[in-house]
Parts: sequence; C-alpha cells; structure tokens
Amino acid sequence: MCEPNILTRATPSSCAGAEANSPPLIPSAPRRITVQINGERREFEVGRDILPTTTLSAFLRERMGYTGLKISCDEGACGACTIIMDGKAVLSCMLLAVEADGHDLLTIEGLPENDPVIEAFAEQCEPGHGTALQCGYCTPGFVMTVRALLNENPSPTLDEVKEALSGNLCRCGCYAGIVKAVGHAAEKIAARRGRT
Amino acid sequence: MSAAYKPRVPRQFVGGYRPRIDAAEKARGRAPYADDEICDRNYPGLLHARVLRCPYPRARIKHLDTTKAAALPGVKAILTYQDPEVARLKPTNAGWTDAVDTVSYEKMMWSKFRDRRVLGDYGTWAGDELGVAIAAETEMIAEQALQLVEVKWEQLPFVLDPIEAMQPGAPVVHLQIAAHNVLPPDPVGGPDVFLSKGDVEQGFAAADVVIEMDTSHHNPTQGSLDPWCCVAEWKNGRLTVFSNSYAADQTRMHVSQMLDLPINKVRVISKYVGGQFGRGDTGDQPFFLFTALLAKRAGRPVKFKHTRRDSFHDTRQGALYHCRVGATTDGKITALHFKSIGDIGAHADHSVFALKFAPAEVSDAALAPIPNVKMESYAVYTNRIPACMMRGVGNSQFNFIFGRMIDGLAERLEMDPLELALKNFGHAWGVCPDKSLTAVLQTGAARIGWAEKRHKPGQGPLYDGVLKRGVGFSLHPGWHAEWQEERRGQVQAKITLHPDGTVTLDAPTVETGTGSNTCNVLGCAEALSFLGVRPENITWVSTVDTDSGMRDCVQTDSAVSFLQSEVLAVAAQQLKQKLLDLAAPVLGVPAEQLIVTGGQITGPGRNISVKELLWQGDLVPLSVMVSRRPAGTKTGVPYIASFAEAEVDISTGRTQVLKLVIINDCGTVMYASGAESQQIGGQVMAMGEALTEELIYDPVRGVPLNFNFIDYKMPTILDMPAIEPVLLEVWRGAGEYGACGIGEGTLTCSPRAIANAVYNAIGARVDELPLTPDKVLRALGKI
Repeated sequence: MCEPNILTRATPSSCAGAEANSPPLIPSAPRRITVQINGERREFEVGRDILPTTTLSAFLRERMGYTGLKISCDEGACGACTIIMDGKAVLSCMLLAVEADGHDLLTIEGLPENDPVIEAFAEQCEPGHGTALQCGYCTPGFVMTVRALLNENPSPTLDEVKEALSGNLCRCGCYAGIVKAVGHAAEKIAARRGRT
Repeated sequence: MSAAYKPRVPRQFVGGYRPRIDAAEKARGRAPYADDEICDRNYPGLLHARVLRCPYPRARIKHLDTTKAAALPGVKAILTYQDPEVARLKPTNAGWTDAVDTVSYEKMMWSKFRDRRVLGDYGTWAGDELGVAIAAETEMIAEQALQLVEVKWEQLPFVLDPIEAMQPGAPVVHLQIAAHNVLPPDPVGGPDVFLSKGDVEQGFAAADVVIEMDTSHHNPTQGSLDPWCCVAEWKNGRLTVFSNSYAADQTRMHVSQMLDLPINKVRVISKYVGGQFGRGDTGDQPFFLFTALLAKRAGRPVKFKHTRRDSFHDTRQGALYHCRVGATTDGKITALHFKSIGDIGAHADHSVFALKFAPAEVSDAALAPIPNVKMESYAVYTNRIPACMMRGVGNSQFNFIFGRMIDGLAERLEMDPLELALKNFGHAWGVCPDKSLTAVLQTGAARIGWAEKRHKPGQGPLYDGVLKRGVGFSLHPGWHAEWQEERRGQVQAKITLHPDGTVTLDAPTVETGTGSNTCNVLGCAEALSFLGVRPENITWVSTVDTDSGMRDCVQTDSAVSFLQSEVLAVAAQQLKQKLLDLAAPVLGVPAEQLIVTGGQITGPGRNISVKELLWQGDLVPLSVMVSRRPAGTKTGVPYIASFAEAEVDISTGRTQVLKLVIINDCGTVMYASGAESQQIGGQVMAMGEALTEELIYDPVRGVPLNFNFIDYKMPTILDMPAIEPVLLEVWRGAGEYGACGIGEGTLTCSPRAIANAVYNAIGARVDELPLTPDKVLRALGKI
C-alpha cells in the first residue's frame, strides 16, 4: 500500500498518478535505504518515504517525530539540529535524508534517561556560572555535540571544549554554565567507569 | 569567579542556587515548543502557509494574478488584499501595548500610528508581508505557489537613513501618518520636547564646563533560535490559535478585535518559547490574522512559520543621540540636554516608547538630583526593518550616551568618573550619594581592578608591541519595581492543594527562558512553608491557555520573577485560612485557636496533620485564586552597572574584551542561579551588539544582505570573555520580597562599558556601534 507522499500528502491513488506523470527518480526498481536510528534498523523507500530533496533534520522531525533536534537556521550555522552519526556530531540540516543510507544515527531521544551529559546539563547551578540552559531550544544540539566530544575525548581541556562547541549558538548565553556542565559530565563518566 | 551572594534575609527556598524546574525536560529535548507540536499527528489535515514578502524597500502592487498558483496541486486556499475578509480589516500596528496590560483596539497605546495593513498592497521594507498568503499541503508547495503568483510591482523611491529621511523631498514612508517621516507628537509619548525640568539654558550659564557629544546605536536583532510559528484551527465557529507568542491574553484580544469575534470564541494557547527577547514588540502580529483567515477558507488547520530569513523581523531601534552637559569645577552637573533621532524603520509600532518613555524613566531615578534637564526626541520612518523592543526598550540606546557623558565629563573635569557618578545621581525618593549606586559602583570597581588598571586615556603600557588595555564602566537605574508595574492591572495566580498534600501552581506566564517559572515555584514553596511543602512537591502548569479564565502575566519588564511570587504570598495566607476553617469542626476547636506549621494543625489539646485532614474529607482539592494589583508604594529603583576590561590591537583595530563584571542590585534575589544566568547570558547580546552583530543593507537596492546566522555574527562560546556576575541586595522595594526585575538590564550598560574601556585603552573615541576594527583604525587615524 502506498503511504502518503511526504511532498504532496496526496492520497494513494493520486500518488500513483504523480509517479506516472513524472520521470522516475531512479531508472530501475525503487531504491530502498537502510538507516539505523537509535538502535533500530529502519528501511525507507526513496520517492515514497523519503524525497531525494528532504534534509535529514526535516525527515527526522517531521516523518519520524524526533523533535528533540531543532531546525533553527536550517543552513549549518547554529548547531540546534546536531545529532550523532557513526559516533560523530553532525548537523542534520546539512545532510540529505538519503545520505543517511547505511549509517547509524543517534538523536537525543536515543540517549538513556541517566545519560551523564543530560544529567549534567540539567543539574548545573554552580554559583558564578549560571545554569547550562534557559529557553532550552539550543540545548539538545549542545548535549549531542558534548556527547560526541566526550565519547572521543573523555577529559577535554577548556580549549578543546570551546572548540568543539563553537558551532553551537546559545542566544540566551549560557556558555559559562555549559562549560561547567561539560566538566561535570566528564566527572560523571569517569566515576561510572570507575564503578564498573 | 564570583563567590555566591549572601542573602539579606535567609529564606528556605527563595534566592537559592538550584537547577531550573524545567532543566531536565529541556536537557532531554522533551520540552514542547510550538513547532514540535504543530504537526500532522496532532492536527490531522494540517496545511502550511507562506506569505508574499516585498522584494523591494518600497513598492506598491499594481496587479496580482494567482491563477497559476491556484492551479498547483496541493494548494488549498489563497488570500489576497482584494478578498473582502482582508480588505475590511482595520489598519493596525504591532504596538497595541507593551504587553504589560491587555488593551482593546480603541485603547491601543499608539492609536495615531496604525501604519500596518494586513496583507495590504503597499510594502515599506524589503521583507514586509503583503499582498497574498497561500495555504497548501506542504510548506514547499505553498512556497512554490507563491513563486507562481504573478505580481506587477510599482517600485518607489526609498530612504534608508533617518537623517536623509528628515530632509525636504525625501521619499515619504507613510504619508497619512507622517508627511515628513517624523512621527507627530501623540498623547502617550508627549511632545517632541518630552521632558523639561528647570531651565537648561540657565544651567549651562551657571556651568564652568560645557561639553557636547554624539553617539550612534545600531539595530541588532533578537535572534531567538525558535522561529515564530502558529497554528489556527476553527471548530464550530470557534478559533484556536496555538503559537510561540509570549502574550496569550493580549493575542486573544488582538485576534478577537481584528477578526470581530466574541472573546469567548477565541482560544489562545502558548507553551515553551525558544527565546523571546522582545521580538515583535507586543505580539500583535498580522500573521495571526491571515493564518486564521486561511484556515477558515480551507476548512482545515493552518500552520504559519517563519524561515530563518523571515525571523529577521524586528530589531532594537537604532538611535542617534546628542548630549550637552554643563558642570561646575567641583563636579556638580548643572544642566543636561539630550536629543535623539530614532530610526524606527518601516513601522512605528512601539518605537516612541523606546525614544521617550525609557529616557523619561531615567530622569525620575538617576537624574532626579540634577536641577535642569531637557529631553527631546524625533522618531523617523525609514525603509528598513522595523525596530523597537529588544531586551529592554530604548534603555541600551540611552545608556550608550549616558555612560559616554559620565566618562567624557569626568575626563574634562579631571575627576574619577565613579566619583562624578556618585556626586550626581540618585533618585527622587532618596538622598545623594545613593546607597544602591554606591554599593554597585564600589563592588564593580573592586572586582575589575579599577584602581590598578585605570589610567589616562591611551597612556597605559603597550603589550606585544600592538596591544593596549583599558577599563571602563557604565551605570543605569534598574527597572522594574512593583510600583512601576501598576499599569499591568491584576496579576493572577492559583494554588491548588491536593488531598495528598501535593500542590499544583497555575501562575500563568509563557516560559521564554527567563526562569520566572522556577522563581514562582520557589515563591510558592516559601509561602506554603506552613504545609511543609518542598519545591519538588509543586507542579507548575506550563501551558498558558486563555480557557483557564486567568490572564497571563507577560514576560516583559523582567518583572514576572517577583510579581507572581508577591501574589502567591497573599494566596498562601488565604489557603491557610481555608485549611483552618476546614480543620475547626473536625478538631472541635475554633479556627482562630488553630495554628499550622510544618504540615501539622495544632489546637488546644488536639492536632491533626494536613494530609490526614484532607484525606478524610470529600477529597476535593483546596484551591485559592488571587488577583492582585501590584502595590503602588513609590520605592524608587536600585542600580545596575557593567565594568569592562578591553584589549585593542592597534595594528588591526580588533577589540577583545578580557573581562566583564555585571552588578545588579536586585532588592531581593528570587532565584540565584536564574539571576546569574541572566547576568551572564545577557552578555552574549551585549558583546554582539557592541562588537560583531550588524544588519547590513545594500544602499543601492535598499535590501538587506545578511538576514542569516552565517553573516549576522552572534557570539559563540569562543567569542565570550570571562564574566563575573555579582548579585547585591541593598535597595528594597515594597511587598513581601521588595524585588525588582533584572533580566533586560543585564546588558544595558555593557556596550558603553566596553566603549569606555576601548577609549581608556587607546585614547581615541569610537562612539558608533558596533565597534568594528575599521572604526577603531579610523579613530586612531590609521585609515
């Protein structure tokens, strides 16, 4: 059965009509892509489930309901749409959904409840540094960037933290609290490793 | 790094360092923002709207043909300026009120400046919404349909500069309102000379020294990361609007009045907002109206959302200031004259508030001891992006000349500017030297190292052959205390005590990031300490829904942090009385003989826990809703200041801020972590508008060139200096807490503090923001 087309949201019958009127996207059989999202393997058909022009950010939010990531600038300038792909922080607005074929994606929804980075961002209130978030719109992007940083480098220096976060904008200006949260997250990770 | 502040009155919850109540859901990406919720899953059949934007700085639509657009599959509704439901809409503006109060169309603050037509045929800036709006199955189809609309434009001459706009023969932006582009005097703003105290000419004659100066503040934009969006849905003749507007009750009034709907036929909902910062002035935006009309035409819910480019929609108002100041050799100011020309852009909205109200407010406070003061202002239309509120309304622009005046006059008199400030400023309800100002300035001076680092302008050491350092400061009276919020009318809050002893707090205000939600929960727990309730036992209602029957207290004036807590203090006492009345027959003791502490009700020989009492009854929650007008007792306001240390590379002109110290006398700190976040966070905007952010226009075509986050340079984590937040409790206002707002003011003084530090470093003045390297090099005579 033909699912509603994400461009036109047309009914199945007119969906078939649209396909007949326009040249096929791929000359051969419909192309399917496979994406691992938050640990779950998903298959999508290009042209039906995913348009070749759909950005990964729009696909994840609108089609998959992963609204933790935000689309703010939609041109790679703010970092609000950051997710983790194959262990690296990426801007999902700068990728097409079809480019995720064969890759492993992690959105903030895929982090565990007790993720140390999430906890550290939520808890930061050390005097003199403010909280790590205010309006919260940029926060999931920061959390994912920090998650990727600490996966690679569990005890970054201040300069390394700043460099890693320099592509994420926080208009409320909680950078000082965010730096503290990164430090606390690193401590939590080290402590948990010590326990295991 | 700052030490934790010491509260004047130790309290159990209010004033504490702790996480925000919404921090966990925000850190997990689960806080519901409008754009997350307005989707097909929640609104089956949802359509998406796009609106035509004027591609020219000034143009009129001569002819518009939507035939091809209408034929595009997926297009469901088209609305143009020729449609009857559009054509009959009254002219309006986006400045009905400053959102402190709720006002009707007739009572809108700036009723003389109704210069906006909803989907009109006349565009007055490149970006103006006009002509046609289209709803379609997807945003992409709606955009494609817009491209298919055939528009014949009449391009008209334009003007981008306010001084040019004031010249005879300049293109006129809104002929019916301002024949020469200068807004006429109006009942709210007053005449051009809106403040005249004493006789300035006599004051200047009595002065030993008279100096003059000019400053120019530009128009940065709010840059909220959450682009504006809304959905309009009609069911059974009733319209529901859900959006990320920060003013639910006023939005309902706006929609009701403009669409001629009874108030009970309009429901407005807001939840979390990803940063407000004054965008859109009051939120009386035409897009609510055309989205609602499209939804009516289509018979389906319609979503309208700004793209990033569209969200370059409002700005801080650019202002040119001229100041003349006279003083005697002992440092007493005898006369002050400020004149401003405001670039209000293409729509007047709330701009007179910025130009007249904010400076006039300062005259009651800081300038009260000065015998002769004159202020005049001219608000000028140009064909640029509209301008007015942005984290404050006119305060930053005024501070940029005010702090310049202090620094310049002190230099001329060979005085320390701190001494000059203490000698001259106070407020109408106190004595000089003002206690709050003294504490703020002394603390700032100590923290920045004023005595060690301040030197004669440009006379400090040279580092690495090209670097010069300096320190500077600026001060401002804070705003707002309770008495300045009287116009807000009733502030409402409701406490519900459940039979298991937990509490629901409905203190309606749209959460925009300010942290007032946490202040309110702390205030509620404090007020309910007799129940033994802790903040974690209180659920704060995060959805603002006009169907609740309560008016929301809008996040403006930075005052919600304490206004609702003052109401809660009253509500808690009423709740206590209800509880005792309930306990009296159970215990067989008159209510007046009962006391309740720590969740225990005690009378002569008998006692019962609150939980036990409630659980054995009918299990109906105890609710108290209190409406309270802010107290009018005139208490003055406390002071705020920023101190900056800057380093200038004299070979490149680049300014680097090494340190900022931000001092706020708060009256009472309601929530220390939130207050420090405001102090630290505000510096992102301060640094941006001081150094890097600037809207750039093509002077030939009159169109903006950098309405995006790549070319409009907001500071990143790498651009920010060390910031030391300092909270003080010296002044005290009225009420249980005697607090005042601080959020907006945290950035007011910083651009001037930085500019003064740059002057102290290099000995050459740059008085035009932003302080870009080219201006610094020009001031140094190098280019």
